[in-house]
Amino acid sequence: MSALTIIGEVLVLLGTFFYFLSALGLIRMPDVYNRMQTSTKSATLGSLGVLVGVGIWALGTDYGSIAWLTKTIVIAVFLLLTNPISAHALIRAAYKSGIPLWEGSVVDKYKEHLEAEAKTEEGGEE
Amino acid sequence: MVVKRALAIITLLVIGYWLAVGLSQVPFGEDKMLIGQYYLDNVKDQTGAVNAVTAVVVNYRGFDTLGEVTVLFIASTGVGALLWKRKKKRTAKTEGSIVLTTGTRLLFPFVMLFGAYIFIHGHLTPGGGFPGGATVATAFLLLYLAYIAYEIPHRGFEVTEGLAGMGYVTVGLIGLAIGGYFLFDWIWQTWQFGTDNIGRLLSGGFIPIIYTIIGIKVGTELSGIIDNMVKEEVSE
Repeated sequence: MSALTIIGEVLVLLGTFFYFLSALGLIRMPDVYNRMQTSTKSATLGSLGVLVGVGIWALGTDYGSIAWLTKTIVIAVFLLLTNPISAHALIRAAYKSGIPLWEGSVVDKYKEHLEAEAKTEEGGEE
Repeated sequence: MVVKRALAIITLLVIGYWLAVGLSQVPFGEDKMLIGQYYLDNVKDQTGAVNAVTAVVVNYRGFDTLGEVTVLFIASTGVGALLWKRKKKRTAKTEGSIVLTTGTRLLFPFVMLFGAYIFIHGHLTPGGGFPGGATVATAFLLLYLAYIAYEIPHRGFEVTEGLAGMGYVTVGLIGLAIGGYFLFDWIWQTWQFGTDNIGRLLSGGFIPIIYTIIGIKVGTELSGIIDNMVKEEVSE
């Protein structure tokens, strides 16, 4: 059992822990926006941990080669780039289709911005 | 309503039980291969492919793949015929947000590259022409979703699609001329190209060539279907 194996195992464990937190957040949070916040962030981090961990873990074993790490890092970078974009698109679509914020929310700057924009447009037409 | 639903559930349960009884006679995890063993034993010598699935799909049972490609072509043509309008335009109103458009611009070449990787390496890794082509079409779908004005270059796409289909048949016909039957693997059997190279990119007989053709065909076809479906008629 080499050091690389141990590092890989620890990373995979960390990743699965963050997966668990992400699923927990999905149940515990009150509205769509909070749920997205908790689930996407920790799922991305968990995936990174698991992927890179598997790559390093394989390096420590006798059948592992550097190809494992290369592939997992490519997948990890792809996930790192795409996950936030998809989360952004989902959240934005949710807001645009009028899903309300949690009743405990205190401030909605985007709504104010939209209203101000609508007002200036009206003013421009007059 | 309730009676209807109950009847449907009872019928489904009966059918499910019937299927389960039938399947319970099939032993799982036992060696039951009759022809399958032949494929596994001979796939490397006869086709040069390491991926037995693509070897079976393209080489041993190439005719089925030609049929599948035809089915996709007919589906694409059918969608085109059903949604035919004299004058049509994209009528999407909201552009994707700046994050989405920038991300799409960044990711599009990578998705295309990965799609090409899948269909070029059909004889070595899982995948092949159909997943690769679908990935390429996904890249175009991404462009359609992120931009309101994007359109695929129709003329070029339709010509490419037709040429790719003809390329597949041409490869088969060359096999007919050289080896005596349709879809004969002339690159492997006659030229012996890449015989000492099994497991590397330049091997696998005509599987990489056919899968590149299929990948291009499927990619352009599915993009065309997407294009047909997102457009709406505009009155003149």
